[in-house]
Amino acid sequence: MAGELYNKPILFAVVATVVILIGTLVTMFYPMMRQEMHPKLDNLKPYTALQLAGKDIYQREGCNNCHTQTVRPLKTEVIRYGDYSKAGEFAYDRPFLWGSKRTGPDLARIGGKYPDAWHYAHHENPQSMFPKSNMPKYAFLKKAMVDPPAIEAHMKANDFPYTAADISALAGKTEMDALVAYLQSVGTAVKKKASRVVAEAGARQHEKNPLAGDAKAIALGKTLFAENCEACHGANGQGGIGPSLADDVFFGVKGDVADDDYFEVINNGIEPGMVEEGRVAKDTMPEFKALGKDKIWSLVAYIRSVQGK
Amino acid sequence: MADHFVDDIEKFEAKETAHTLPVGWVILFWALILWGVYYFYMYTPSLGGWSQNSALEESLQK
Amino acid sequence: MNEYQYDHQTVKGFILSSIFWGVVGIVIGLWISIQMWNADWNIAPYFTFGRLRVVHTNGLAFGLGVGAIFGIFYYIVMRLTKRPLLFPKLARVHLWVFNAAIALAALSLFAGMNQSLEYAELEWPLDIGIVILWVMFAVNIFGTVIKRKEEQMYISLWYIIATVVAVAVLYIVNNLSIPAGLTKSYSVFAGVNSANVEWWYGHNAVGFVFTTPILAMFYYFLPKSTGLPIYSHRLSIIAFWSLIFGYLWTGAHHLVYTPLPDWIQTTAIVFTIFLIAPSWGSVVNGYYTVGSDWSKMQSQYLTKFFIWGITFYGLQTVQGPTQALRVVSSLIHYTDWVPGHVHMGTMGWVTMTTAASMYYIIPKIYNTEIYSVKAANTHFWLVLVGQLMFSVTMWITGIQQGALWKATNADGSLKYTFYETLIKNYPFWRLRTLAGVIFTVGMLFFIYNILMTIRKGSILAASKA
Repeated sequence: MAGELYNKPILFAVVATVVILIGTLVTMFYPMMRQEMHPKLDNLKPYTALQLAGKDIYQREGCNNCHTQTVRPLKTEVIRYGDYSKAGEFAYDRPFLWGSKRTGPDLARIGGKYPDAWHYAHHENPQSMFPKSNMPKYAFLKKAMVDPPAIEAHMKANDFPYTAADISALAGKTEMDALVAYLQSVGTAVKKKASRVVAEAGARQHEKNPLAGDAKAIALGKTLFAENCEACHGANGQGGIGPSLADDVFFGVKGDVADDDYFEVINNGIEPGMVEEGRVAKDTMPEFKALGKDKIWSLVAYIRSVQGK
Repeated sequence: MADHFVDDIEKFEAKETAHTLPVGWVILFWALILWGVYYFYMYTPSLGGWSQNSALEESLQK
Repeated sequence: MNEYQYDHQTVKGFILSSIFWGVVGIVIGLWISIQMWNADWNIAPYFTFGRLRVVHTNGLAFGLGVGAIFGIFYYIVMRLTKRPLLFPKLARVHLWVFNAAIALAALSLFAGMNQSLEYAELEWPLDIGIVILWVMFAVNIFGTVIKRKEEQMYISLWYIIATVVAVAVLYIVNNLSIPAGLTKSYSVFAGVNSANVEWWYGHNAVGFVFTTPILAMFYYFLPKSTGLPIYSHRLSIIAFWSLIFGYLWTGAHHLVYTPLPDWIQTTAIVFTIFLIAPSWGSVVNGYYTVGSDWSKMQSQYLTKFFIWGITFYGLQTVQGPTQALRVVSSLIHYTDWVPGHVHMGTMGWVTMTTAASMYYIIPKIYNTEIYSVKAANTHFWLVLVGQLMFSVTMWITGIQQGALWKATNADGSLKYTFYETLIKNYPFWRLRTLAGVIFTVGMLFFIYNILMTIRKGSILAASKA
C-alpha cells in the first residue's frame, strides 16, 4: 500500500500537502486564533497621518534591513536600549518591523530619546555626527514632499482614525518631517522606567564629583565628550542642537547648578517636563547611564574644566 | 540518437542496500526526538516554569 | 532533431536567464558589501543599502535560484517521466513571464516598493504575477508527471512535488494584504502575529527554495554523473517525510527572545534541532553512495561539486539548528554571524549543486561534452575558497559583535557604545568584499564554460544539420 503512494502523483501531492500543513496549523494558524497573538497595550495609539507617512518612508527606504525594532529580554540589551519589547506594542504595525540584523542600533526605544533636531541633522548627514558611520545620507528626504491623498488612502487601508484637517495639514510637510515624526513615536507606548541596573550606581543627592579637577579624568572626559556629546553640544561645549555647556545657563535659566545635577542629567537623560533644581526642561536628551559612574563623573569634570571651574 | 536521453530508473538506486539504515543515523534520529521532549518540557512556561521574562528578572537581581 | 528539442530550448532559456539574474544579484552583492564599510558607495535614493539589499536577496533567490529550479526541474521531470513536457508552449510562455516578473521586481525594489517582509518584499501586483507564474509551472509539472511513461516516481519527483505545493501555500498566505494604491499595501496580519506568519514563510522559503529543490537535483544528478546508485531507498523515504514534516514547525527560531509567546519559540527550537536528522539522512546517503567508489571524486569532476555541496548542506544544517538554541541565539542573533550562515548555504550548497546540475545538462542537450573540465575545476576551487573566506570572516565578526554588545564593566555599565562596536567590524567587512570578489571570479569561469559549451554544441548541431 505504501508503495502505491510513489506511483500515484495526485495522492502523493495530497499526502505531502497534509504533512506540511500539520506544523503550519499548530505553530502558525492555531496561535492566530488565540488572544495572545493580538495583544494591544492600553495606551498604544494608532499612527497619526504624518507618523504613518513616516513609517511608509521607513519601509520604502528599507531601514529595517539594518535596524531592528525589538529589545530582547536580556540584561545588557535592556541596559543599552531600555525596557524590553512587549507584545502589545505592535498592534498597529502591518507588518511588524522587528528586522533581523543590527548593522545599526536597535530602534525600539528611539521615540523621545533625541530631540527632533538630532534626527534631522543625523539623517541629512550621519557622518557629521559619527564620522565613520556606514549609514547612507538621507538628505533628499528634506526636499521630497509628502503626498496627502496617498497618505489618506493609506490611513483608510489601516483603518486609522483621521480628520480632513489631519490630511490637509500634511501639505507642505517634507518626507523628513514625516520620518522624524514616526521615529519619535516608536516605542513610546511603554513608559520609560528608571533603569534597574546602573541607576543604583548613580549619584546620591548633593554628592560631590569625586573626580573634580583630576587631570586624568578631565582628559578621559574630553575623549568621551568628543564621542558622545560633541555632535549636539559642539566641539568645546559651545552648543549646537543642544544648549551651550560653557556658560552658566542650565535648563534655560541663568545660574549654576551642582555637580550631581549634571551627573543626573547625563545619567538619566532629559525628557520635556523634567524638573531639576526647580527648573523645567523643554528639550530631550538621551540617557548615558550605560557609560557607568566613573565615565559620567569624568564628563562632569571635563565640562567643569570647560566652564573654567 | 534519442536513446541517451532515456534514463534507466533501475540504475538510480542500489538494490542490496535499499533497506539499510546506518545505525549511527538511527541513533541520531531518536536521540534528537528525546532531546526535543526534554527541551520542550524545560522551556515551556506552563510545564517547566521557565519564561524569558522571568529569566531576565532573575539576571537583573544578580 | 528529436521530440525533446523544443523543451530543451526552454530549459536552456531558464538556465541562461537564471545566470543573467545571478550576475545582477552578485554584482549588487559586491556593491552592498562595500557599502558596509564605506558609506560613500550609497547613491540616494535608488542605490542605498536599504534598497539594494533587497534587490540582492530577491535577485539571487528568485532570479538565480528559482529560475534555475524552473529550468532544471523541467529537465529532470522529462527524464524521470520519459516524455517531453505536457505543455511545451506553456513552458515557453512561462520563461518569458518569469523574466518579465524578475525585471519588474528589480525595478520596483529600486523604487522602494517594499512590503517589509523579508524574502517577500514584492508589492501585491507582482505577488499576483508570481502566483500566476507558479500556477503555470505547477500545471506543467503535474500534467507531465500524471501523463508519465515510467510507473515509479523517483525520489527527485517527491521533492519536486513537495516544492510545488509548499511554495504555493507559503507564498499566498504570507502575502495576503490590503492594497492602498497600486504600489502600496498593508499586511492583513499585524504585530506579533505578522512576525509569526512572516517567519513561518521566511524559514520555509529557505526550506522549499534552497533545500527541497536542491535535494531533488542532488538525488538525480549524483547517480547520473557518477554512475553510482543511491545507497538506501529506505533512508531516502524517512529523510524526505521527516524533512517536509519538520520544516514547517521551525519558523519561530528567527524570533527567539522577541515578544512572541515562549511556547511557540520553544516548539520551533525543538523541531529545528530535530531537522538535523532528516538533513543528515541525505548527507549520509550521499556519502555512502559515493563511498562505494571514492575514486569518482578524482575521475569525475562533477562528483566534487555534489559531495562538497552536500557537505556544506550538512554543515549548514548543524550550524543552523545550533543557532536556534537560546543560549547561542542570545549571542549571535542580529549579528553578521547570520549572513555568514546564510551564505554558506547559498554560496556553498545551493550554488555548487545548481552549477554542477547545469554543467551536466547543457552538454547533454547538445549531445556533447563540457567545454573545459579545467575551467570547471578552477571555478570549483575559487567558489570554495571565496565561500569559506566569506563565512569565516562573518562568523568571527559576528561573535565579536555579540561579545562587545554584551561586555560590561565591573559596575554593570556597558563597555562599548554601539558606534564603537560598529567600526570594529570594518576590517572584517573589507575581507568579506575580497571573499566576494574571489567567489565572483569563480562564477565567471562557470559562465564562460557554459557559454563556450553552448557555442560548441551549436556549431556541432549546425554541422550535422
